[in-house]
Amino acid sequence: MIEVNNVTKKFGDFAALDQLNMHVERGAIYGLVGPNGAGKSTIIRHLCGVYKQDSGSVTIDGEPVYENEKLKQRYAVIPDEIFYFTQANTLDMMKYYKGLYPKFDEALFKKILECFPEVNPKKMVRTLSKGMQKQVAFMLSIASRPELMILDEPVDGLDPVMRRQMWSLIMSDVAENGLTVLVSSHNLRELEDVCDHVGIMNHGKILIERSLDELQTSITKIQIAFDGDMPALPEDIKVLKKITTGRVHTLIVKGEPRAAERAIGAMNPILMDVLPLTLEEIFIYELGGENYAVKDIIF
Amino acid sequence: MQSKTSFFNFTVFKKNISRTWIVGLLYFIILTLMQPVAFIIQMAHFEEYWYSDSGYTRTACLYESYAYRPNAYIACIVAIVVAGLTFKYLFFKRDNYMVHAFPVSRKSLFFSGFLSSSVVATVPLILNGIVMTIVAAAEHAYAFDAIWYWTLIGVVSVELFLAIAIFSLMTSGQIATAVVFYIIFNYLYFLIELAFRLMASLLLFGMSESLTSISFTPFSPVVFIDNNCMVSTYKTYDELGMIKTFTHSLDGGKYIACYAAVAVVLLIVAYLLYKFKKLETVQDFISVPFLKPVFAVGVSFFVSMVAGAFVAGLVDSIHYQTYNSRFTIAIVATLIIGCIIFLATQMMIEKTVRVFSAKRFGMMVGYTVAALVAMVLIRADVFKVENKIPSANDIAWVGIQSNYTMVFTDEDDILSVRELHKGFLADKQEIRDVNVLYKDVPGGNFTIKYKLKNGKVILRSYAVVDTKSDMVSEAYVSATQPILDYLNNPAQIKEHIIGNIWNNCDIKEMSFSTYTYDENLNDFVSNWESFDYLTEREKKAKFKKVYDAVLKDIDEGNLFTTSFGEDNYNPEIDDQLYNDFSFTVSNKKIPYFSDEDTYWDYQYMDPEPTYERNIYAALTRKCTNTLKALKDEGFYYDDSEILTYEEYNKAMGNPVGEGPILY
Repeated sequence: MIEVNNVTKKFGDFAALDQLNMHVERGAIYGLVGPNGAGKSTIIRHLCGVYKQDSGSVTIDGEPVYENEKLKQRYAVIPDEIFYFTQANTLDMMKYYKGLYPKFDEALFKKILECFPEVNPKKMVRTLSKGMQKQVAFMLSIASRPELMILDEPVDGLDPVMRRQMWSLIMSDVAENGLTVLVSSHNLRELEDVCDHVGIMNHGKILIERSLDELQTSITKIQIAFDGDMPALPEDIKVLKKITTGRVHTLIVKGEPRAAERAIGAMNPILMDVLPLTLEEIFIYELGGENYAVKDIIF
Repeated sequence: MQSKTSFFNFTVFKKNISRTWIVGLLYFIILTLMQPVAFIIQMAHFEEYWYSDSGYTRTACLYESYAYRPNAYIACIVAIVVAGLTFKYLFFKRDNYMVHAFPVSRKSLFFSGFLSSSVVATVPLILNGIVMTIVAAAEHAYAFDAIWYWTLIGVVSVELFLAIAIFSLMTSGQIATAVVFYIIFNYLYFLIELAFRLMASLLLFGMSESLTSISFTPFSPVVFIDNNCMVSTYKTYDELGMIKTFTHSLDGGKYIACYAAVAVVLLIVAYLLYKFKKLETVQDFISVPFLKPVFAVGVSFFVSMVAGAFVAGLVDSIHYQTYNSRFTIAIVATLIIGCIIFLATQMMIEKTVRVFSAKRFGMMVGYTVAALVAMVLIRADVFKVENKIPSANDIAWVGIQSNYTMVFTDEDDILSVRELHKGFLADKQEIRDVNVLYKDVPGGNFTIKYKLKNGKVILRSYAVVDTKSDMVSEAYVSATQPILDYLNNPAQIKEHIIGNIWNNCDIKEMSFSTYTYDENLNDFVSNWESFDYLTEREKKAKFKKVYDAVLKDIDEGNLFTTSFGEDNYNPEIDDQLYNDFSFTVSNKKIPYFSDEDTYWDYQYMDPEPTYERNIYAALTRKCTNTLKALKDEGFYYDDSEILTYEEYNKAMGNPVGEGPILY
């Protein structure tokens, strides 16, 4: 659905995006992660049609995004800092969205509003707490019946209960209507729960872009112990990291997990555990040796 | 394929209106108070007030009131407030990014914003026009053309200022800077002209009066519209001061049409700026790349020129400088100040104090060389400012103002004055440093004013010193004496100081004050003979004899003569009489041409022709013919009744040698 090809954007002499490529499938929930200054907000502003790239192309469903009014009616954006008109209350904003998004569903909006009784729709939105303002933004965006939602740090400032509510709203829309979601966040643990695709960015480039399953099956943590010294491992097992505590060895092994399990099992260890890796651990082990600020990605 | 977008988005339009309507309401209230309410109050007691007694009708009152209503200033303020509120989102990152992330194109945002601003700013004017029409009809004041012409001016003004305001808002990423740019754009031409004239007045020979002839051109619409696009009224009065005729005109229609066209062009340019605006420039000092060097160089150039000239003028006021040394100081100061300002503008544009790069140093050197070249060109008078003398065919009249004011309309006289001016300028190297060369010689100024047929004025003023002084060089005398000879020609004096009716007039009035010392008051007491016991004919005959003596004194070079180094109001010579002498020349058939009124453009105050003029003559003891005639005709009887300023100052204990003490 989203195709970003060789996009470069410079601010003065600084290249915020450098030949960036990104691809998001229809119906995917794509997590965009990267350290501060990696260029996440910049690429999102290109996808929203706010910035125009210096070179390359940014298309959604094959159509260029920039200044494309009709195309933008099909997707909703929740930026990191949300804008509401001065003096406008939730109902005023609802009318504004209704005027801009042809598919805006007022009934749905009212239904969602009922789920958030703490939001007073007649109170000026700018006077609401940051969390409530985010809730209003979610309500408005979901009621716009978008095919694509672009979220920049969407749950920042929300308490855990509220985060869960937000994600369940989005997930139900994904399930019912095939909504595509592009979400940028620092929070890998949260993305792990919701995303099916991940793109990791740094220095204006996408370094890795894979499905979460692919990522999780490409690296395995195996804990083993032998009666005596550990024998030499077969050459086809690529160990990214080895930690030894007493007689217990923890191996981070790259490659297909079952093959590694079979090969190590053949060495007759007295103990062998194959453990799943978190997204956070995958990034650390996959890119820890690279000269990237991966540690900044994980909070 | 990209979908087509429309020019107008009703949701955006409605939202804009909901945020700006309050400005429109306030505008309407102000207009209503200024016009319908004020007129109703004025008409409530119409029959009791002076204008009813003076022959004003209700309709005339309404026309008259429309002649003095400010239009452009209010429109100018309303436009920037409405446009500022509408396009406020461009100046705040959060608002900017979100608004442009919505499914609305810039084209829709721009034109919906412009339309909503137009509605808020123009609807109050139109409503006011309707209300005023109803009020006028109810009050039997049928000046409907004035009401709607004024409304039209208002609508065009507000659209023009909206276009300027939106254009200004597109040039900067900071709202405060955009408002400053709006003010600058409204006065840009005037400010540039002011800078040049200020510099010329401080540096160039003969240009000390250059600031006085500055005027607002159509390029400064905020002032020009109110002065040139208006309802004008014209009245004539009868002998009792009652209005005889009352007419009006609707002026400035062509300017209104031009301004409407300019508004459209500016709006298109503003749209193109918006269309290609990079939104990341929000909060930048200047958000249009090509305007950055224009701003930096433009500001540095004009500010440093004026500041450099100002420094030279300051040094000159502390210690007189020659023309060349003044220019040298100005050039050095201009270059130093220019470099500082150039770097300061770079700091503002780049939002950092770290602007000392090789690239910018190169730009600064380039700018410095350009400023130096400009100053040298000005010094060499390449632009023909100092030596400018208009073509005789272009001149409506030329005036010379020194001790007296003379205006020449005759073709031969114009040619003569041009030649005198040319000759004077040919010797300017000798004359331009008189303040340094002859600082101990009494001096003054003389001014040549060319009024051109196209209405423009060329004014040159020169410092001169007393030609009769032993200290002045032969070259100085040869440069200035021809002008003095021309001005002191008796024929010129009679024609231009007494006036065009000098040889065909009655002397309607004549007055000569005499002085006797009163020891009780410890001062001189004035007295004058009114000749009330004589008939008008006898009085005129008596005055005529004195007048003939005055003419004789003029012929002998004793009266109304010009001498550089003194002036009429502060004579250095103390032999001028303390006694006042004046007379009124009159001819009921020939309108009096006043050189002074023409020179100073006073005719607009009273466009009706006059047929008489009171002339004041500063007599000296050399005016023997006049003094004898005054005595013979009984204006005074004893020589003790006349005294000079020197004698008066001595008697009163005032410093001698300083002429009249002015209060």
